[in-house]
Amino acid sequence: MPACGAEQDSGLARVRRTGELRWGADAQGGEPYAMEDPDAPGGMRGFEVELAEALARELGVKARFVQNDWSNLIPSLERGGFDVALNGMEVTPARSGRILFTRPYYVFNLRLLARQDDAAVTGMAALRGQRVGTLANSLAWDLLQRSGVEAVPYEGVEEPYIDLEQGRVRAVLMDDIIAQRYGQVRPGLRLVGDVGEGYYAIAVRQGDEDLREALDAALGRIAHSGELRAIFQRWGIDSAAQQRMVDWTDAQTREVLSNTHTARMGWGQLVLFLQAAVVTLLVSAGAMVLAIPLGVGLALTRLYGPGWAGRLATAYVELFRGTPVLLQLYVLYYGLAGVLRLEPLSAAILGLGLNYAAYEAEVYRAGVLAVPRGQLEAAMALGMPLKLALRRVIMPQAFRVALPGVTNDFIALLKDSSLVSVISVVELTKRMTITAVDVRSWLIPGALCALLYLAMSYPLSRLARRLEARLERG
Amino acid sequence: MIEVEKLSKRYDGRLVLDGIDATFAPGEMTALVGPSGGGKSTLLRCLNGLESFDAGVVRVGSDTLAPGDVRAQGEKVRSIRRRVGFVFQQWHLFAHRTALGNVTEAPMHVKGVGRKEALERGRELLEKVGLSHREDAYPSELSGGEQQRVAIARALAMEPEVLLLDEPTSALDPERVGGLIDVLEQLRSEGLTLVSVTHEMRFAQELASRVLVLYGGRIIEEGPPDRVLASPHHERTRAFLGLGRVAALRTMGA
Ligand SMILES: Nc1ncnc2c1ncn2[C@@H]1O[C@H](COP(=O)(O)OP(=O)(O)OP(=O)(O)O)[C@@H](O)[C@H]1O
Ligand SMILES: [Mg+2]
Repeated sequence: MPACGAEQDSGLARVRRTGELRWGADAQGGEPYAMEDPDAPGGMRGFEVELAEALARELGVKARFVQNDWSNLIPSLERGGFDVALNGMEVTPARSGRILFTRPYYVFNLRLLARQDDAAVTGMAALRGQRVGTLANSLAWDLLQRSGVEAVPYEGVEEPYIDLEQGRVRAVLMDDIIAQRYGQVRPGLRLVGDVGEGYYAIAVRQGDEDLREALDAALGRIAHSGELRAIFQRWGIDSAAQQRMVDWTDAQTREVLSNTHTARMGWGQLVLFLQAAVVTLLVSAGAMVLAIPLGVGLALTRLYGPGWAGRLATAYVELFRGTPVLLQLYVLYYGLAGVLRLEPLSAAILGLGLNYAAYEAEVYRAGVLAVPRGQLEAAMALGMPLKLALRRVIMPQAFRVALPGVTNDFIALLKDSSLVSVISVVELTKRMTITAVDVRSWLIPGALCALLYLAMSYPLSRLARRLEARLERG
Repeated sequence: MIEVEKLSKRYDGRLVLDGIDATFAPGEMTALVGPSGGGKSTLLRCLNGLESFDAGVVRVGSDTLAPGDVRAQGEKVRSIRRRVGFVFQQWHLFAHRTALGNVTEAPMHVKGVGRKEALERGRELLEKVGLSHREDAYPSELSGGEQQRVAIARALAMEPEVLLLDEPTSALDPERVGGLIDVLEQLRSEGLTLVSVTHEMRFAQELASRVLVLYGGRIIEEGPPDRVLASPHHERTRAFLGLGRVAALRTMGA
């Protein structure tokens, strides 16, 4: 949808009328692209900040930074959240088919890193069937998909290198700017080599052809004047190869952008979706199997345990309920990697299980409190020890009260399990977003994803309702 | 045989049982009567360790229960509870178990009686209280009187020496009280020690061999029901019975 009130404007006219070039980027992308300026609160710094300012100046307007999550830059651009996306946007066939790209402003290499002590990794060929980390939907991702390795998708630039150090992936393939700053600085890692190259270009909305042409011309001017490479030099990312950006021709642009091949939904994709659904189910069920006994234990400790244990259980519940599960997954997987080296799937199950235990504890505590006090007295009066009374008399009745809550939590967990993609597990939602970008449409992947979630949650609620009906009688 | 010696209990510093001495013999039914708040339920609950006390002892056969034992909630108090059955005023049947399940639960899981034997004995007990035909019913499907009889059968399933009942008639209509008296009469004749808190003088009169009047945490009068109920020595008992008669007449619709 175009920005309101400006339906008739072409892209360039809009920029001129408003007097600003709104450029979308993610400040969390970090050094050296675009980030918050620690010395000037609210300000931005980075080579792309300087590039945006130079381009705006060339267009006779002001540059205005718009913060946007990196993975959603293209959809936001299409919705009209900003005029251009300028944030290490690699020219990939899928993107070229979806939006307009300017001529490239930077040429980068795809750089492969491995562990110092792992001499067997000599190049891509040596990595067949191995886990190799990169950013999802990047150029490196495309290359890995074609290379017969198991591509492991990450959402940040530090995490793949942490996992490489931990041995949870065999190698990491990323743009050289990233590899240099985040990977090669780690003493345990070594450069294997550069295995391909790609370009950063500015993304413009379909229909804003005039804006693209203006930007192409502006880019040409600052490249020829030497300003572009001066910016690169200031940020330590200049290289002889960047001279190609100066000598770049329109014919080269056409050639680079000619590949708009996009994957299509087919049987292969369907199999990937089903696999991802199995992962979702495995993670959710595994986490629940962990959360239920732990939750029961926490609830009973709070209700019947000695004072100090009760306080400890309460602290557990407050801690895990009161902090984001995303943060907990992060701490468990990356933060504690030095002391506890978990595989992604185990970390996902453990992390969600520990988190949901806090919720289950409350559901069961409510269940136990709903059992009339006389039930426990009657059990005690027959000479039952507390534990036996809880097991035989209180818990079965508490379970009945708790069942709807537990079902509800399990269904919520099915969906919350999508959070584990931050620790590189490809579950259903992650599969959908990856595929949606690959096939340039959210419609079919989205529908398929929703269908699979429903296919998992609906039978579960049916089962729970039957169980409730059966327990109703007693 | 169950006895208490110098039993005292306080709630928030307030004395609610004040040095109670009493002995309850096998084959004897004792009615605990007295005004509301006199300490009847509290005494009854102390008798099987459901309530802790501050001083004195409870003795069942050769087992004794001191204040610390109840607080510890250990094996000592549990062994007393296995020998002393308790029927609650509101019965508290296990809501998730059938009538038969309620009766077999404790023998199987506390005493370790085999399933087959427990079921056999459970059916016998339900028959004894006249509920054979309702063994598969859940508590929510039973009337008050039926629930009470299951509660009695549940307590008896542990083969206790003593059966304690807290106001067993309070939720029964007069006709059902007759049925309860028959059941308890039979148990008494089998040699069980029965102690029942009651407000119902007809019930005390028909069944009890002895009446204890509790007032302000003390036993102020004790004796056979005919004597205590007809010509009480203590002024408080007279006052209490005067009210009691009016209440009893009212409930009978006179
Ligand atoms: N849990 C408690 N906390 C504090 N005080 C209590 C508690 N239970 C009972 N009491 C007090 O102890 C005293 C004796 O109570 P108890 O229930 O034994 O009386 P009762 O003779 O059974 O009376 P009623 O005929 O009304 O059932 C009362 O004053 C009562 O208020
Ligand atoms: Mg009472």
